[in-house]
Amino acid sequence: MGDDYPTLFRSEQMSLMQFLIPTEVAHDTVAELGELGNVQFKDLNPAVNPFQRSFVGEIRRTEEMARRVRFFESQIQKEKDVVPIRSLYDSASLVTVGPSAAHNIDELDVTLAAHETRLVQMNDSYKTLSERTRELVEARHVLRETAVFFEKAETQQTDIRTSFDDSSAPLLQHDDREQQYSSTVQFDLEFVAGTIDRTRISTFERVLWRVLRGNLYMNHTDIIEPFIDPATGAETRKNVFIIFAHGDALLAKIRKVAESMGATLYPIDANADKRSDSLREVTARLEDLETVLYNTGVNRRSELVRIGEHLARWQDVVRKEKAIYETMNLFNYDVRRKTLVAEGWVPTRDLTMIHMALRHATEESGTSVVPILQELRTSKTPPTFTRTNKFTEGFQTIMDAYGIATYQEVNPGLFAIITFPFLFAVMFGDIGHGLIIFFAALYMIFQEKKWARQELDEIVGQFFYGRYIILLMGMFSVYTGLMYNDIFSKSLHIWHSGWDFLEAEPNGASYALSNGHIYPFGVDPAWHGADNGLVFTNSYKMKMSVVLGVIHMTFALCLQLPNHIKFKRPLDIYANFIPQMIFLQSIFGYLVVCILYKWSIDWSTRDTEPPSLLNMLIAMILSPGKVDSTAQLYRGQGFIQVVLLLLAAVCVPWMLCMKPYFQWKEMQKIQGQGYVGLGHRSGGPRESADEVLEIEEEGNGRVIVEEMEEEHEQHDFSEVVIHQIIHTIEFCLGCISHTASYLRLWALSLAHAQLSEVLWSMTIEKFLGVSGIFGTIALVMVVVFWFSATVFILCIMEGLSAFLHALRLHWVEANSKHYQGEGYSFTPLSFAKLDEKE
Amino acid sequence: MASVFPVIFILAIVLGLMACGYLFVPKGPQQTTIRTAIMLTLASCYLMWMVTYMAQLHPLITPYRSTKGGESL
Repeated sequence: MGDDYPTLFRSEQMSLMQFLIPTEVAHDTVAELGELGNVQFKDLNPAVNPFQRSFVGEIRRTEEMARRVRFFESQIQKEKDVVPIRSLYDSASLVTVGPSAAHNIDELDVTLAAHETRLVQMNDSYKTLSERTRELVEARHVLRETAVFFEKAETQQTDIRTSFDDSSAPLLQHDDREQQYSSTVQFDLEFVAGTIDRTRISTFERVLWRVLRGNLYMNHTDIIEPFIDPATGAETRKNVFIIFAHGDALLAKIRKVAESMGATLYPIDANADKRSDSLREVTARLEDLETVLYNTGVNRRSELVRIGEHLARWQDVVRKEKAIYETMNLFNYDVRRKTLVAEGWVPTRDLTMIHMALRHATEESGTSVVPILQELRTSKTPPTFTRTNKFTEGFQTIMDAYGIATYQEVNPGLFAIITFPFLFAVMFGDIGHGLIIFFAALYMIFQEKKWARQELDEIVGQFFYGRYIILLMGMFSVYTGLMYNDIFSKSLHIWHSGWDFLEAEPNGASYALSNGHIYPFGVDPAWHGADNGLVFTNSYKMKMSVVLGVIHMTFALCLQLPNHIKFKRPLDIYANFIPQMIFLQSIFGYLVVCILYKWSIDWSTRDTEPPSLLNMLIAMILSPGKVDSTAQLYRGQGFIQVVLLLLAAVCVPWMLCMKPYFQWKEMQKIQGQGYVGLGHRSGGPRESADEVLEIEEEGNGRVIVEEMEEEHEQHDFSEVVIHQIIHTIEFCLGCISHTASYLRLWALSLAHAQLSEVLWSMTIEKFLGVSGIFGTIALVMVVVFWFSATVFILCIMEGLSAFLHALRLHWVEANSKHYQGEGYSFTPLSFAKLDEKE
Repeated sequence: MASVFPVIFILAIVLGLMACGYLFVPKGPQQTTIRTAIMLTLASCYLMWMVTYMAQLHPLITPYRSTKGGESL
């Protein structure tokens, strides 16, 4: 495995680099590095308050621009008719680096501010006009409805005349004016007219009745159309009311009560002609307002369309600028050299790319001063960076979800690419279902380019992210389906079966005889439909789960070796790896060997009965050495089992004691040296003086921020012992429980097969024999139902369940054998990733 | 007739294929990934086939039907 290429086996080697960037080039350099996406900058001003950092002003300005862009976006989204937003790929580009950059940003700021003021103005005027329109519509309703009242009242004019006796004086005053108009109405009642919410009308009536002691006549009608509030879109229903009363005091009271109940009063004239004049006026004004409203709407829409052309580009620019300035805030300003100093983690492999990017940035900006790059020596742990492509990304993510790998430890994600779909398939094995999910994944992969650009729904997005995982899951499921001989709960009869069924007996029972032939690839189809088919299948699948489980765990245990070798921990190999391996193999490896051995023997030629392996294992531990000769698997079994048990028993104290003992000896050695070192310390002051001089020198890679959290190996011996005890107990108990845990491979595949069979027998099978038109139609409907149940229940639900269990097997059973998972992930400044974060 | 020989024979073939996979994958950024994938696929598929084959070598029970007719495609 060559060193020239990155591998998924370990995380990449990282270097801590120090950048000395002249201030003029700083913005463009950071922009270039952001596009590259390979540097994770360290915060060199941890003690500084975010409001006191150097680039706070620029960030504030970009925030203001971002706020405006968000405002535009929300306005566009609120429009009922979709306003097209031109995608980023098609948008005109805006140059943000180089000598014209500052000018472009200023221009952008001004443009955004102008658009915002215009948009806000239009919104406000639209709102005001809408309210005005609403009032006028109400007035029109009032005019119309009150006309009805007055016409009704005309006919009852004489009755009213006689019931009211006083307050003739004010009426007389009106008389002259009345006579100018040709009115037969001699209305001498005064009234208040207006509109009120429908919900309040009854309360209004009751209050008025009480206040005026019944001295009123009120009439009200519903306004049929509801009024829609333009801001919220809520509908309110109103009624028109008209209240007749006499006397100024009463009218004043009515007006007060009406206003307190939130009614709107309109001045209506008693005279019919004057009313029709008012109606005409209101209608004319309404028409004018409608026109103005329409024009405002059209203008606003065209403004939004213009904004939509550039919106994506603005969002992109604003986001990048903000990221650039936030990053620049992390830098340290070196006063003497007038440069910004930055520190960051870079994958060692990408150093040349970084150099080129820096050179490119200086060329773009037009200056001739190139930023300087220096490597720093440090004892801090670098971040973990695994270089993935679109295929391996999904697998790496699901393994990272358990914990990020420690820097440069063996990456379980590499192996999960195959083992995860394989264990999934063992639980899901069905050719038909496997094909369904395989084609679903294939479809998503073909639509890859298009879907990657879209904003996908959360759930669909999850499935899309894991499309390659699903593809592999489908492929392996077809293989295990072939093994289990299961396609939509039926079995395939490709080769000669190994069983010949005899003639059926009178009670319908039929037995099979072995014809010596072994079905070469998969489970013999004769077992399908047999009454004791499950007995065979259960035994087969349980034993297969144990075999696969022990082999998977052994493999995971072996992954410890490369870690111990790389990090130079030979003690761990002898004190941890070897006893663990011996313990695991002496009990469970032995079990696997016994399973395979028992299968390979022809029991018909042996005189002993085939022993139950489970009882054999239990007896091995509970009563070692005693093996019944009639129930033995092989000769000498008792002796061998005792030896294996002793081996396992020896491993426990081995694991408990060896490592703490050696670490204790090491601590003694260091302490011994430490005492010697104190005497040496008298030469100390001279040393520190040298250090100070070194910092002053040019070109010295001194880490600027020496954080105080140096890993001081304060080994309390009791901690070491406790840690080792926990580790030992965890491993030993874990061996047993994890081996049993692998039985879920059997359990889920059984459940899947049974569910599939039940679905078939309860749906299609019942309708296969029905003849005639009714039969065919019913069959078609049942097939549709069967297929949708297959997809939703068997593929999606069972698929998710098997996915979860396969993942658990990887996280708990496999990773606990070798994984440390104490790293932190590499989060570079990357403009492409900014997109994903939003 | 039913012997363990096919198991061993196929094991030899699979080991040979795994060695080919290890040796003949071209150098490149994906070498480790492809190698691991090929070897693990061969190993896991062989394991499952081997277990299935051996479970049927000398079966301890025979299939038995209480109703007429099988259900195979």
